[in-house]
Amino acid sequence: MATDQTAKDHSYDAIVIGTGITGGWAAKELTEKGLKTLVLDRGRDVKHGDYPTATKDIWQFPYGGRATDEDLKRQAVAARSGYAITQASKHWFVDDTEHPYVELQRFDWIRGYHVGGRSIMWGRQSYRWSDLDFSANAKDGVAVDWPVRYAEIAPWYDHVESFIGVSGRAEGLAQLPDGKFLPPMDLNCVETHLQQTMAEKFKRKLTIGRVAHLTAPLAHSPQRGTCQYRNLCIRGCPYGAYFSSNSSTLPAAEATGNMTLRPNSIVSEIIYDEGKGRASGVRVIDAETKEQHEFTARVIFLCASTFGSAHVMLNSVSKRFPNGFGNDSGELGCNIMDHHLEVGAGALVDGHTDEYYTGRRPNGFYIPRYRNLGGEQRDYIRGFGYQGGAGRLGWTRLMLDTTLGPDLKQQAATPGPWYIRMGGFGEILPNHANRVTLDRTRKDKWGLPLLAFDAQLRENELKMRKDMANDAAEMLAAAGFREVKTFDRATGVGLGIHEMGTARMGKDPKTSVLNKWNQVHACRNVYVTDGSFMVSSACQNPSLTYMAFTARAVDHAVGELKRMNI
Amino acid sequence: MSDTRMNRRELIQRVAWLMGGAISAPAVLGVLNGCSPKPSGASWTPLFLSKEEGAIVEEVADLILPRTDTPGARDVGVPAFIDVILKDAYPSEDQARFVSGLKDFDSEAQRAQGKPFLQLSQAQRLAFLQQIHDAAASAEHAQADDQDIPASQRKRPFVLMMKELTLLGFFTSEVGATQVLQYVAVPGGFQACIPIAQAGNGKEWATETSLRF
Repeated sequence: MATDQTAKDHSYDAIVIGTGITGGWAAKELTEKGLKTLVLDRGRDVKHGDYPTATKDIWQFPYGGRATDEDLKRQAVAARSGYAITQASKHWFVDDTEHPYVELQRFDWIRGYHVGGRSIMWGRQSYRWSDLDFSANAKDGVAVDWPVRYAEIAPWYDHVESFIGVSGRAEGLAQLPDGKFLPPMDLNCVETHLQQTMAEKFKRKLTIGRVAHLTAPLAHSPQRGTCQYRNLCIRGCPYGAYFSSNSSTLPAAEATGNMTLRPNSIVSEIIYDEGKGRASGVRVIDAETKEQHEFTARVIFLCASTFGSAHVMLNSVSKRFPNGFGNDSGELGCNIMDHHLEVGAGALVDGHTDEYYTGRRPNGFYIPRYRNLGGEQRDYIRGFGYQGGAGRLGWTRLMLDTTLGPDLKQQAATPGPWYIRMGGFGEILPNHANRVTLDRTRKDKWGLPLLAFDAQLRENELKMRKDMANDAAEMLAAAGFREVKTFDRATGVGLGIHEMGTARMGKDPKTSVLNKWNQVHACRNVYVTDGSFMVSSACQNPSLTYMAFTARAVDHAVGELKRMNI
Repeated sequence: MSDTRMNRRELIQRVAWLMGGAISAPAVLGVLNGCSPKPSGASWTPLFLSKEEGAIVEEVADLILPRTDTPGARDVGVPAFIDVILKDAYPSEDQARFVSGLKDFDSEAQRAQGKPFLQLSQAQRLAFLQQIHDAAASAEHAQADDQDIPASQRKRPFVLMMKELTLLGFFTSEVGATQVLQYVAVPGGFQACIPIAQAGNGKEWATETSLRF
């Protein structure tokens, strides 16, 4: 029997589910607008600075930092990335044996269950979308049209860039709008050479990556310092130099006094009040004790990650929503997108042997999309960008060299030749058949049904990959680099860790789950602002766009609360 | 008896692979007729390997990266590193391949040089190691070029596992990273392209590179 006090403890103005990139933003914006907000995360708490490996030197790790066979078995999915599971970073990725899912086709679902989520391990690349992207579905007759255009989102990009800090260079490209940038990081001599030959021979741009790193201090976030060029970001940054929820938005939310953060809280479902026709709150399973709790609020922000939110919605079944929360359209869980990658080219570079660098730049170069622009029509639609970098090879280059003994040691101490490598990030088209469903016959340790994935790359993506490999090789060869080699490795969907699309927005409730404000069409006091809302995937890293839409959705929700519309 | 024959056949295959397929099966048969090496014992206490195996690992590691004007593999504890990583981090299949490959390596020394590996002179050990190493390296070169197999899946033979783990253990040690290479924990800034003489002491930076190579 709940007392008045516990009822009060369980009642808030707003609930935010998830503390990753978007949950942190929702928490900050809601609390700064004065709403008493309960912020839930299914994993353990992580305070800024609570990064256990962040300042360790490589010799302080066992096994030279390598994962053990046991690690690779327990974290087999994250290990597919090739970089996530090391002694320095494995604690940020889930134990896949404890968090199973069903792969009807290979699907790489790479997760971090802790406060801050994947904002701790993200790649930090931050790009705006353009109207080329927002109008693409309408132009191509694919899926449904985006219900917004760039002009509506641009002020929100300004808002989030100003707060998080994005380092980059303005290039004046229509397909990749400039933002509010902190000073750019530098390209090295080999990258500059490629930039020049690409401009001369192909009329294509190469720019330094736009990254959420502070290359200058931010007055409004004094707890964050500038980048120290250690390039150990995946461990968590003790300087707060790159944006994460932990270093940036959650401290801002905390400072308002309006946030109640509750870790170890697995949301099993959204509670729908059939009488009032609105969501009344959420049902939570304590991850440690397995006790169930209910919390109520006037508005709910679902920011649990694309598939986390899909799980909550699919599992929230009521008389009104027998097929999942807000799923009148039948599109919930469908249209999974990501970016397809692991395709590109690399080369060795002669010369520049008297040149080297100091510091470890946590960033590379970016080649914005150039295909299917200005009237060009390839045998596929949409396009891709490249991310890459040049550097000098280290001692691992000597693995198969025949030198042994003193000469091997000597060679290892000498910087190796320059190399360069670039990999494409390709757009994946939304397709209704790429979907995730609930397998109610299989349960996790909390008794919740498992997600079952059924998604694959299709004809458009596979054709695009040919250009992604060949163009890279062509540009590297044109720059005079040698031993140019393409690569094209089979991957599952998901390995881009840019999953999106399972609760898309749209103008028509018959064909979409959310409206243009990220509001569930059929239940206006629930907003979904993680990657679920995306209607197409473009080829830019999507986190900045998620943040912009989240801030915009909070602004809308608070306005609607004031207007008594929700 | 039949068990022994099976083992002999397996051993032949392993040695043939160790040698990069460069020697014929009849030649390998000679391997099986040698006697066991006299254990010299390792100067540290192995947890996974036997003392005899540990002694060979120590010697091979130190041949790969010896003491020069800076410490060598033995000095920085690479043999113990290899023993522990094998024990804690490797699947049983890889452990077995390492140990059987090590035995084959010693038997082949006996066959080719007339003595177990540790009883050879320093020059003979180096020459023998070089020969085995080069054959295995060229075999992997060919394999890698053909199939683009990730390093972690190449099922390297003993001699290349030894080299990989010696390089890894040495250059991720404090001495390897700071005295042989150069290391700055917190660079504080980034200079993209400067004359190499101005990049610290001009040596290669010890950075966290790919851990699987």
